[in-house]
Amino acid sequence: MTFLKKAAFAALATAALCAQPLMAEQIEQVGRAAYLEATKGKKVIFVPLSQGMDLNQAWTAVWQRHAARYGFSFEVRDPNMDTAAGIRALQGAIAEKPDVLIVQNPDVQTYARALKQAQQAGIKILQINMQSITQTDSYVGNDWIEMGRLEAGELAKTCMAPGAPSKKIVWLAGVQTGAANIYMREGLNQILAENPGLELVSDQPADYDSEKARQITETVLQQHPDLCGIMGIWDNAEVGAGAAVLAAGKQDQVTIVTNGAGAATACDSIGKGLLDVVYNFNAPIQAEIAAQQISELLQHPERQAGAEKTVFFGPITRVDKSNATGRNCWTLDQLK
Amino acid sequence: MAGDTPQPTGSGRRVKITQESVVTAIAALLFVVFSIFLNNFLTQGNILALLKNVAILGTLATGMGFIVVGRGIDLTMVAVMVVGVAFAIWLTTLGQGFFGAIVIGGGLVTACGLVTGLLIAVAEIPPIFATLAMASVIYGGGRVAFSSDVLYAPANVAWLSFIGSGTFLGLPASVAIFLALAALVAAFLRLTRFGRFVYATGDNPHAARTMGLPTRPVLVAQYIVAALIAYLAGILLTGLVSSINTRLYNSTLIYDVLLVVVLGGISLSGGQGGVRNVLVGTVLVGILINGMTILNFSYTSQNLIKSVILLAALALDAAINPRDEQTSQSGDI
Repeated sequence: MTFLKKAAFAALATAALCAQPLMAEQIEQVGRAAYLEATKGKKVIFVPLSQGMDLNQAWTAVWQRHAARYGFSFEVRDPNMDTAAGIRALQGAIAEKPDVLIVQNPDVQTYARALKQAQQAGIKILQINMQSITQTDSYVGNDWIEMGRLEAGELAKTCMAPGAPSKKIVWLAGVQTGAANIYMREGLNQILAENPGLELVSDQPADYDSEKARQITETVLQQHPDLCGIMGIWDNAEVGAGAAVLAAGKQDQVTIVTNGAGAATACDSIGKGLLDVVYNFNAPIQAEIAAQQISELLQHPERQAGAEKTVFFGPITRVDKSNATGRNCWTLDQLK
Repeated sequence: MAGDTPQPTGSGRRVKITQESVVTAIAALLFVVFSIFLNNFLTQGNILALLKNVAILGTLATGMGFIVVGRGIDLTMVAVMVVGVAFAIWLTTLGQGFFGAIVIGGGLVTACGLVTGLLIAVAEIPPIFATLAMASVIYGGGRVAFSSDVLYAPANVAWLSFIGSGTFLGLPASVAIFLALAALVAAFLRLTRFGRFVYATGDNPHAARTMGLPTRPVLVAQYIVAALIAYLAGILLTGLVSSINTRLYNSTLIYDVLLVVVLGGISLSGGQGGVRNVLVGTVLVGILINGMTILNFSYTSQNLIKSVILLAALALDAAINPRDEQTSQSGDI
């Protein structure tokens, strides 16, 4: 009796397994073996601007996690903001023929030729957040024109409203030749054209430095005591603008809008009243999107480098006092 | 001041034109022109903002001037400033109180100055190379230790906020601290025996040593003082923007500091000038930057104008203070 029962169960189980064609011998998630095969032993090299920035640390934390989990090697060649060292790092990477090369451009021109060479050498290239005029296999990062529109739009909404202190705004750029700067400025220009009366009273680059931002803001506030808003490009620099506004006691009058990777330090700055709105491009999510692109490039070794060029713009979240918490404010330890 | 003696030419008495007076005149001229043509330039608020914007630069330049008077140059100042303060902030993240961390940071900074001073005074490496290399070492060490470029000071440190936004006798605290430091260094250079040793060493190091002056200890002490002044500048900076940006090491700040010193009329051949020259140079650069910011000049053209002025100042320096064949030797810059 028990023997018959067991035999019947065994027969049933065998039949059930045979009915699922791909799960013949052991449990296997569809496509996982192929995925592991495609990523295993592959080589990914990242040439950043500098690993000292919060966004870079977030990206690499995420990519290192993927690399460790799926067995590809991931190396960072940090030129520490030196473009000449960056070109050398790129040349070195081309010689090593990695399967994917990730590049964060210092500006639109500097790496353009090296990227072309790398593509001709058959290396697949993912550009992250900062574009070059040479378009490569993939770009993952901000829609910078939209970022400019969002920030300027925020100021337009505040400063064109009845009861606003004035219609005067300031653009604190980073470095004027940077791709992000050029595109954000375009977005700002669009908003200025759409909002006659909105007046740009100062357009000075703060060189991604908080003290420079503070100095410019302090001087501009003397010229335009009725200033309504300031827009910037990196939360860590615009805290200087915030410090100048706070020192002048005008925190209720001047709205400071900027963008950033979404690190907890930005939320702290909002809490301290140094910044009003941060358009958070959430570097960890950007990195996950880029990781998808990396895995796609690794899974299609037969595809020629540069054969398909894709662009994906990451998320942008508006963060102010009301939502400067939780996932809008990551710390590096959470990402590892 | 030593070596600043007028040289009467011809039979008639001529007014000696020093670089300091030329720069003062240029600064005064710019001030008048900006006051007339720029709205809101000549307001109390703007003048205070102008001073506040050069407080850090002036503080660093006071330290640099102190070194250049002794015929040295200290290119480590910006590295010491950012790494010293970043180290102190990093200690606070490990649970150390902020004041204690600042004191420990001061110890590190003193050690940096000591090593630099020993390299120059004992190993006799020319200061420009010794400090250039040390700057890389200090910044590189910091770069390895702290993962981020920007470190935020702990919130709610009352005295730090006071430095940033407080006032003292109507002056912004940072400006008051800068002026107090300048007065202290000036008094030290003019009134103390050690100060005279600095001038003597700068004027002619070999003669100073032959006379029995303790030139080596003087040199080492100078670099320690400069490092501590750089650290003070870093604390001022942190007070102003509540964070320290170690990337400043890669900026043109150290050259701006040199610009102020040379512009003010402290000759790179040493033994001449004093804190007054630093103040004049600082004020001129302050007026220039303030005016150019109001005029909305681009960053690149601001740097260009500053560089042209530095070049002109160097040329003027060479014409007014010709090199002395007897004392210009190796180690000279």
